Amino acid sequence: MFKSLIEKNEKRSQLYMMAQHLNTCFMISTIEHEYLVNIEKGVVKNVEEGPFVMPSYVFKLTAPKNEWLKFLQHTPHPGSHDIIAMLRRKVLKFEGDLHPLMSHLLYFKLLLASLRPAESKNEN
Amino acid sequence: MKIEKEPISGQYAKFKIDGIEYRIYWEEAGQGIPLVCLHTAGSDGRQYRALLNDKKILERFRVIVFDMPWHGKSSPPENAKVGNYKLSTDFYISQIMSFINGLELVKPVVMGCSIGGRIILHLAINFPDKFRALIGLQSAGHLDPYYDINWLHRQDVHGGEVCGGIAYGLMAPTSPESEKFETMWHYMQGGPGIFKGDLFFYKFDGNIGNEIKKIDNSKCPIYLLTGEYDYSATPEETKSLADTIGIEMIKMKNVGHFPMSENPKEFLKYLNPILNKIS
Repeated sequence: MFKSLIEKNEKRSQLYMMAQHLNTCFMISTIEHEYLVNIEKGVVKNVEEGPFVMPSYVFKLTAPKNEWLKFLQHTPHPGSHDIIAMLRRKVLKFEGDLHPLMSHLLYFKLLLASLRPAESKNEN
Repeated sequence: MKIEKEPISGQYAKFKIDGIEYRIYWEEAGQGIPLVCLHTAGSDGRQYRALLNDKKILERFRVIVFDMPWHGKSSPPENAKVGNYKLSTDFYISQIMSFINGLELVKPVVMGCSIGGRIILHLAINFPDKFRALIGLQSAGHLDPYYDINWLHRQDVHGGEVCGGIAYGLMAPTSPESEKFETMWHYMQGGPGIFKGDLFFYKFDGNIGNEIKKIDNSKCPIYLLTGEYDYSATPEETKSLADTIGIEMIKMKNVGHFPMSENPKEFLKYLNPILNKIS
């Protein structure tokens, strides 16, 4: 589900400019599946899909798969359009050392939003 | 190249607010019924740029937008220190009333968004006879914290970046990107700790409980409009507020927390019928 973050590097060719000093590793969890995302100088270098035995990461974003799917629609519905909106609805949890996330908040929002399809489809 | 000047003029004056002098900046355009517009937490009066340029509205309304102390082009007071700004309900009311009295405005309409949408409720409770009408955008009676606002003012996090990131998410994905960027940019330009200081009012000091029941819509008409993508003051919260007051609320489609700034074209479709009623 989040493996394609690496393939979208080209689509996000300018996004690294917002995080040129950022080197971190974070986890995205759908509860059933986990993804470790490595970032170097603002560029996604690797996305590894679990299961993991002893994963090491700085912070973790956890939401059920159906909530991530709603977030990843071309035009998400209200309440699913932003990670803080999901936090507000208590369907997404932020854990760990949140400094890299909060100091690059817009970067991470745009990084995740880059997985949305360019064309509108399967809207309901 | 011939330029087309906007009809807006800007001015400065010193206002006494709670006994302390503040140098305040405001912009205005148009003539007729005074319409004082209040910007959101951590931003400034540029949010109302579309309203200040709308020819039809300016034929009937004198649109006036001031930057709150510490915001935009308004100054902090003498002997100010970084980090000690905290907006209280009393100070917010005082600055609005000082501004209105200073400009000798008689029975203006006041329209506020977010913290402005909250303070109009306090105005309705305390001074219902002073206003021709009150318009609340993204109004809610109270807001429980849903993220740690300490992130908005830390020396190891760029305040402009984090405040911009927070503001960006509050807008609708359907709003035009250029207007969203400008709205976010205003947040990126705020002073250290100012957005957080405003949220002290929004999330704590300015919360209204049962006092809402004191609002008498027959003394001063109140209009409430909320964008569907707002997760800070949600349409459901505005609806609950409107039910308590005994009025209808308007849910605006395809806009979020900053209707007048993130998608003015869409917003004016909802605002114009209300302004027609008021005038």
